[in-house]
Amino acid sequence: MVFIMRVSGRSKRFRSIFYNTLLMCLLPFFCYADQFAAEVTQAEIKLQGQSYVFSTNIVYNLSEKANDALQNGVPLFWNLQVKLQQQRKFIWNKTLLDAEIRYRIQYHALLNMYRVINEGNGDVYNFSTLSAALDLMSVVIDIPLMVRNELDPKKHYLCAVKVNFDRDALPLPLRPIAYIDPQWYLSSDWTLWPLKK
Amino acid sequence: MATEKITPPVNLYVLVLFGLILLSLQLMSSAMQESSQLSAMYSWLLLFNALGSVVLLILVGANIYSLVQHTKRREAGSRLTTRMVSLFVVLALAPAVIVFYFSMQFLHQGIDSWFNVEIDRAMEDALELSQASLDQRMRWHLKQTQQLTEKLEESSENQVTLEIENLRELSGASEMTLFSRQGRIIASSSINPGDILPSLPDEHIWLQLRQNGLYVAIAPVHEEELMVRVIVTVKAQESQYLQALYPVPVRIADLADSVEFAFVRYQEMNYLRNSLKMSFSLALSLVLLMSLLAAIWVAFISVRNITAPVKALVKGTQAVASGHYDQQLPVIAQDDLGFLVESFNDMTHRIAQARDETRKAGFEVENQRAYLETILANLTAGVISFDAVYKIRTANQAAYRIFHVHVNQFIGRTLLELVESYSELAESLKSIQRLLEQADDIWQQRIAFLGPNGRQELLCRGTPLFSQEGLRVGAVVVFDDVTDLIQAQKNAAWGEVARRLAHEIKNPLTPIQLSAERLQHKLADKLESADAAILQRSTRTIVQQVEAMKEMVDDFSEYAKPSKKQTVDIDLPCLVKEVLALYALKSGVRFKADYETGLSMINGDPVSIRQVLHNLIKNALEAIGAYGLVELSVRGVRKNNTDFVEIALYDDGPGIKEEQIEKIFEPYVTTKAKGTGLGLAIVKKIIEEHGGAIWIDTNRKVGAGFIIQLPACNSEQL
Repeated sequence: MVFIMRVSGRSKRFRSIFYNTLLMCLLPFFCYADQFAAEVTQAEIKLQGQSYVFSTNIVYNLSEKANDALQNGVPLFWNLQVKLQQQRKFIWNKTLLDAEIRYRIQYHALLNMYRVINEGNGDVYNFSTLSAALDLMSVVIDIPLMVRNELDPKKHYLCAVKVNFDRDALPLPLRPIAYIDPQWYLSSDWTLWPLKK
Repeated sequence: MATEKITPPVNLYVLVLFGLILLSLQLMSSAMQESSQLSAMYSWLLLFNALGSVVLLILVGANIYSLVQHTKRREAGSRLTTRMVSLFVVLALAPAVIVFYFSMQFLHQGIDSWFNVEIDRAMEDALELSQASLDQRMRWHLKQTQQLTEKLEESSENQVTLEIENLRELSGASEMTLFSRQGRIIASSSINPGDILPSLPDEHIWLQLRQNGLYVAIAPVHEEELMVRVIVTVKAQESQYLQALYPVPVRIADLADSVEFAFVRYQEMNYLRNSLKMSFSLALSLVLLMSLLAAIWVAFISVRNITAPVKALVKGTQAVASGHYDQQLPVIAQDDLGFLVESFNDMTHRIAQARDETRKAGFEVENQRAYLETILANLTAGVISFDAVYKIRTANQAAYRIFHVHVNQFIGRTLLELVESYSELAESLKSIQRLLEQADDIWQQRIAFLGPNGRQELLCRGTPLFSQEGLRVGAVVVFDDVTDLIQAQKNAAWGEVARRLAHEIKNPLTPIQLSAERLQHKLADKLESADAAILQRSTRTIVQQVEAMKEMVDDFSEYAKPSKKQTVDIDLPCLVKEVLALYALKSGVRFKADYETGLSMINGDPVSIRQVLHNLIKNALEAIGAYGLVELSVRGVRKNNTDFVEIALYDDGPGIKEEQIEKIFEPYVTTKAKGTGLGLAIVKKIIEEHGGAIWIDTNRKVGAGFIIQLPACNSEQL
């Protein structure tokens, strides 16, 4: 059945104005949404002995506002998410693994250094420069994920990694702004690749 | 007695929704506290409230749009609703905006008051003091470590292993390690014997060490402990590095940490100052917006509920105004408006009852009126009623039949207004009008006029009508057409005269005549010639007079008997021509005839009509004598919607005297020496028996003129 909707000239003009205005409002978001996003440059899950280990390289791009907040003592949080899914034809994929490494970076004014804390294991790292602190977060090498037996060699698996900036961990007054300001869009997209067994 | 139940203006659902809005706002307010567990949900609560505001805005917008549409359509109660909602909005908005404005002022000023230059400086000074204190400690530990290296320079590697324990204890370091240039641990001592592996410098430290030959820094260990790391070069044959880790006293570390915490907190707050203002303003605005929108929405619902009975009343009133008296409104609430609605329902019920009774009475009156009208319409007498100013109000069918005028067309007009249109009725109408105006009691008058069927005589009886207060409110006039009655009376009278004449006079005439002739016959021979001559003259006179009397009696008989014996359709011009042909040879008299072509026939007795013509022509000839002119014309005329054939006959004789004109058609009226005076009476009788009329044309100044009008046969009659 075909429905034909007749649109008057006035209605067309109104729609045109509405969509143009909406586009003008959203244009900055489209342009700057990815400018400060982290980028996963390399990711790999490989078999090392009887275990699958995960390695990745990430580039963090701190925006001016994020840097400013960090310098003023605001701690910033990133979650490095790793997922392993079993691919299925007719139903949605089955998630076998959903691991997360949570980093916290904070500036210490007394000692004039940057402290990176792995919230998962409590490891604390201190750096005199921001770039050194970010370097620590950028490289993940051979983190064991699961043993070989847990995966069926006949099935196909999909790996995914993403760096997610935790805006809800920001101080409360910053949160509404962080949701609408592209300078706070610091999360990366999902990077997907098939698991090589 | 019915129990009164007071219902709130808003229903339960609205109250629940309002409660949810308040709960949401309260949750958002709680979430704004950093320590609150709801803090993590702040963004969602903010979004939820924003969406709630949008929903409320849409609801309010839809209500406003609906109200505007209703107002444009001028629907009942829309203007009242607009006024009430506007008043409510203004009353709610004004204080809310004022409070909002000053709250924003206080909020911004309050946040700004947290920060000032003195506190800024104090915080920075405190931090700098802490840093200076730690720097001094680092310098002291550096100097101490450098002094220790002098002792180690003189010791061999084996001795160093033993001596480093003493040096550590002597210096108060928590750990002391001697590295080779390549980073190999030569000797190490720790306050904790369990620490087998000493704390190793990282690449950055090595880099700095190779560049400067020494390294000193404070580094946090674990969460709250500070450690001064000092690495200096030991001047030996092979370059070695001595690393000493000095713990910062807990008190100093706590103080430094406290200062740093306060500084960072202050710096963070200072940095978030504008965000904080915006956040609080946003929350406050959201609270105000949601409260106002919810209030306006509830106002719409409340006002709609309040004005619903008013709307119903307005619609009900309009319905009653347009004649729907059965309007009953639902009683929504037992309040003042409910009482009003009940009163309205009671009123409409009573109006409906009164309407029904009035209608019933009206029906009865109408039936009575129709009954009276039927009676009036079927009366043979004409009835015309007049109002107080003598304008015709009603007239029955008989009035039309009598006057041959649609009197109904003149309802609302006076009789005088009809005079111009109906000249033949002029005198009669004026007479009646005069009587109507002047008579205070029942009056009666006979009036005559020339109707389409000839002369008509009416017996009018008028009755003035008075109100109960004695005021004249009109009059009723009843007309009886007595033409036929009078004519019948006349005919009967003259018939009786004729019969008596025939019986009492004609019968003795024959013996008289016979006796006179016998006297003549018996005595003529016996008398002297002179006496015989006298006898002869006398007997002749007797015989002649008896003959004359016989003729007179015959004329009376002729007059008394009906003239319309055998009626046929007559072509009047032909008949006139036939009659005139009999007189055409008469010398000295000229006949001038004029006939209109295409005339209708008349219905009558040809013998009688022929007699009429003979009588009139004879009269004319007798009037003009030996020489003269007789004019005769036949033409068609139309009067009172009736076609007539008119015969006009004129002579140039001496004419008729004015005093004789009125009685010329009565028996025994004649201007001639000879004659019975019945000729014109018979003519008039015949004409009237034929439904026609005859009169003397008084406009004719020379001679005499007679005009006869006979009704023409119409097509229907044919």
